[in-house]
Amino acid sequence: MFELLRAFVKKEMIQALRDPRMKFFLFVTPMIQLAIFGMALNSDVKNVKFYAKPMINDQLFRDIKRDAIASTWFVPVEGSEKPGGEDIEKFRSGALDLQLYAPEGGLTRAYEKGEGELEAVIDGADLVRGRGINGYLNNIVNEAVGARKGKAESMDFESVAQTKPAETQKQPIYFAARTLYNPELQTSYNLVPGVICMLMCIITIMMTSMSIAKEKEIGTFETLISAPVSVKEILLGKTIPYFIIGCINLPLVFFVAVAGFDVPMRGSYIWLAVATAFFLITTVAIGTMLSIIAKNQQQAMMGSFIFLMPAILLSGIMFPIENMPWPLQVIAFFNPLKYYATLLRNIMLKGGDFYVLATRTGALIMISIVCVTTAFKKFRLHLG
Amino acid sequence: MTGNFKFRRAIAIARKEVMHIMRDPFTMIVALVIPVFLTVMFGFAIDLDIHDVRMAVFDADISQSSRIVYEKFIDSKYFVINKVAPLVARADRPLTTEKSKLSLIIPHKFEEDLYNGRGAVAQVLLDGSDNTTVNLVAGYVAGIETALNQQFYESLAPQPPVKLVKVTPRFLFNPEQKSPWFIVPGLSVVILAILSILLTSLTIAREWETGSMELLLSTPARPAEIILGKLLPYIALGLIALAFIYVAARLVFGVPFTGSYLAFITGSLLFIGTYLSMGLFISVVAKNQQLAMQMSLMAGYMPSMLLSGFIFSIPNMDTIWQWFTALLPARWYMTICRACYLKGASFGDLIVPFAALIILGLIFFTAATKKFKGTLE
Repeated sequence: MFELLRAFVKKEMIQALRDPRMKFFLFVTPMIQLAIFGMALNSDVKNVKFYAKPMINDQLFRDIKRDAIASTWFVPVEGSEKPGGEDIEKFRSGALDLQLYAPEGGLTRAYEKGEGELEAVIDGADLVRGRGINGYLNNIVNEAVGARKGKAESMDFESVAQTKPAETQKQPIYFAARTLYNPELQTSYNLVPGVICMLMCIITIMMTSMSIAKEKEIGTFETLISAPVSVKEILLGKTIPYFIIGCINLPLVFFVAVAGFDVPMRGSYIWLAVATAFFLITTVAIGTMLSIIAKNQQQAMMGSFIFLMPAILLSGIMFPIENMPWPLQVIAFFNPLKYYATLLRNIMLKGGDFYVLATRTGALIMISIVCVTTAFKKFRLHLG
Repeated sequence: MTGNFKFRRAIAIARKEVMHIMRDPFTMIVALVIPVFLTVMFGFAIDLDIHDVRMAVFDADISQSSRIVYEKFIDSKYFVINKVAPLVARADRPLTTEKSKLSLIIPHKFEEDLYNGRGAVAQVLLDGSDNTTVNLVAGYVAGIETALNQQFYESLAPQPPVKLVKVTPRFLFNPEQKSPWFIVPGLSVVILAILSILLTSLTIAREWETGSMELLLSTPARPAEIILGKLLPYIALGLIALAFIYVAARLVFGVPFTGSYLAFITGSLLFIGTYLSMGLFISVVAKNQQLAMQMSLMAGYMPSMLLSGFIFSIPNMDTIWQWFTALLPARWYMTICRACYLKGASFGDLIVPFAALIILGLIFFTAATKKFKGTLE
């Protein structure tokens, strides 16, 4: 049986990789993509186009404007103070992100009276960016005010990572905040494990489901059934190649992540390999189940997407699961991507805690067992 | 293969394609049900206001003041305390074990320091492994710090009011900062992009694989006619999907539509046309469905999700990458969608995205036709 299986797997591998372009798209493009995403994506707010026109004698407002420009996050642009309010046309076209208004009589005077209030009109169409702008602006204003007070003690942006000596403390309570695992808040640290998880499951699920659907579509499936091979052999022969392809992909993207983006690898490679193996078993089994439902390759592809879109959403890669309504949290509980994404981040960034490794890998093993047995049963039924 | 471009022949091919779609109800379901399903699901799932952040408290002081401090966290409604321990050792444990996102450490003599005027320091550990939320959480912590200080100022010694400058933000176009207003218009771009590429990338590859392409070629239809004929039904399908998403956005999530419908429909048509052409181009080049799928994944799915400005804003990127995103149709349609739903854009406001989409669309359409012609010879 083993000989036969090996021949089968070999044939499948050759078939899958016969087209040299396929090799390129399977192994090289994931690396390129990871590199592009790692370089391009950034959660820091940059290039904020703002307009502020402080009065000549409004020293505090002028300081704020100067500090904003000096921070390099804010870029001053021409604007106009319309009598009725902000220049909505400029906001609409994206030429302006932020406009600042001082209260009547100037900000400095209002501040001295103890009622300093700076009105900030922000483009809220891109809400994430808008909030980021608000946060940065607050930091700059606090610093400018702190500098005016003669004590730069208000929370500046860097202070998240600093601890302050108690002697200089003027406020009763101070929170010494420290960000662990990613103190400089590098976007790539967070993004890379997520993208690895996405790439791995997209490739394996799609490839598996399509390869079986292809046999159905062109009619070779019948030949396969009539051949003297068992259901188990067909199933293994069809899935092992894509499992192997997934296994090859991991070190490739991992290399880009660690070498190209200095994403730390603080945990054990063995755990990573174990977790990946069970994750791939699960995805390959899911691909098989999808191919059973699908009549042709197009359906297999669409089915994979219908599975993948929600699975990625409910994985916690981009949006925290705890923040979702409870029915979705329940669904997420059964999502293999959730466990794999947690494992990747925990191993790479936190060094891998045994409790997390054991529970999450355990969950993956359970899911993979359920998926494999279901796939096997359905597949046999399907053939029969 | 001879003669001029005849629209009639393109229509005939379109009709054949329509029959093909009709025969396969699966495609119809995917095109019509899935967009709405995904819109509703994503719209409910994604909430940009982080709440229920799990936190652990290590209270070595066990005093009235330390209680006040961590109860302030609970009162803020952003945090849920899932552990209170008197021991300060290994305060990062809850973070490594994924049980909490934040550890608050209140040291011994916290209350004493507070009342003898030396200033009390509590330590906060944040989980940086998830930096989509850590900035927000840090902001909440800073807000709680300010609130606590005000409270203690008042109780410690009646002082003149603290001088500060309060920034009052006003968010244009989304004054109440509702997440679905941000998510849903962007989502429709991602869903349409995926749908278009899914639908078309395989159509020509399939004809090659099953051999029916030879048949199609032996007819007098010209490449441009075949390509156009293949496109038209899917454009219609895409528009229907778009209408469904629109209804879901308006009715389920109450997203406003303040812009010009003419601009929105023009932009949508251009976008669908461009993406479909891209899908067809891939289909022509690949000739093999599995390869076509891989290519469209790499060209369509991940970039439209991550590089279109859906979550990661384009102005935040470095200039070179901002230019790079100009090559992606989804990036332009994202601008159109947000402008039409939220910003009240008119047709004239969106000339640049329209032009960009037309150029990209023409490039893909000619490339698909050319390449198609090339493969015939």
